[in-house]
Amino acid sequence: MDLLELWAIFGPGVAGAVFGAGWWIWLDAVVCSTVTVPFLHYLPGIFASLAALMFNCVRKEDIDYSPYDEGEWRLKLWLFIAYVVSFVSLAGSAGLLIQDSLDKSAPSVWTGVAGVLQCVFVLICGLVYWTSHPE
Amino acid sequence: MADLPGYLHACLNTGKLASLAILVSGGIVLQILACALYNNWWPMLSVLTYVLLPMPLLFFAGSDDSIFSESDNSWVNFTKFLTGASTVGGIAIPSILKHAGVIGWGAFAMELSSYFVFGMAVICYLWMSGDDDYSIL
Repeated sequence: MDLLELWAIFGPGVAGAVFGAGWWIWLDAVVCSTVTVPFLHYLPGIFASLAALMFNCVRKEDIDYSPYDEGEWRLKLWLFIAYVVSFVSLAGSAGLLIQDSLDKSAPSVWTGVAGVLQCVFVLICGLVYWTSHPE
Repeated sequence: MADLPGYLHACLNTGKLASLAILVSGGIVLQILACALYNNWWPMLSVLTYVLLPMPLLFFAGSDDSIFSESDNSWVNFTKFLTGASTVGGIAIPSILKHAGVIGWGAFAMELSSYFVFGMAVICYLWMSGDDDYSIL
């Protein structure tokens, strides 16, 4: 049994663990925050989870890499939108981290750092789940 | 173990089962101690993850061994995903309680010890399930 087969067996479990770690880090920041975290700060994590779900809805064999035939443009548009949502959520969490570090009445810097870590872990979860499927 | 007598093999299997029971009892004792020594029952939240952990296997994966094999079935992959996600809760809940100042270092250490003892019991159980029961005869 080689490494790729081990990755195919345990990859979904690792993806679930990374997903759980991301959301638990965010829950730690919300619970330990001294001020109420507004709902705007929840959105990067929600959109990162949505993006991870979006690009794992695609079956790998449907992706056409032929340079001659016209491929499934709807599938590529869906993947493009998924990547746009993931990068926008990552940029949004980084922006909220900068805002938390500058504004004194905002939640603490740990809330911003936890938001960035949450987005990173949730997107890594999507990549792990994607790569663990056999071709 | 073809050269062992049958009754000795049965004794060894009983010893494995006793070790498994000792591990589970040790995990339960550590869990109760983490709450009762400090008269603070917030660490009982970790019991939720112990209850939630086998539920994806019960409901989605069925009774085969597909959790340990490569599968194209979406339900089996979803089962593995949920099992991994609920596994992290066993470490995350004591960490969040410690970070929030609800529990101290002693309860935190006992919580993590209980979690790893339970994890060791589950791994030993899965390893024991791989034995051939007919080798006793």
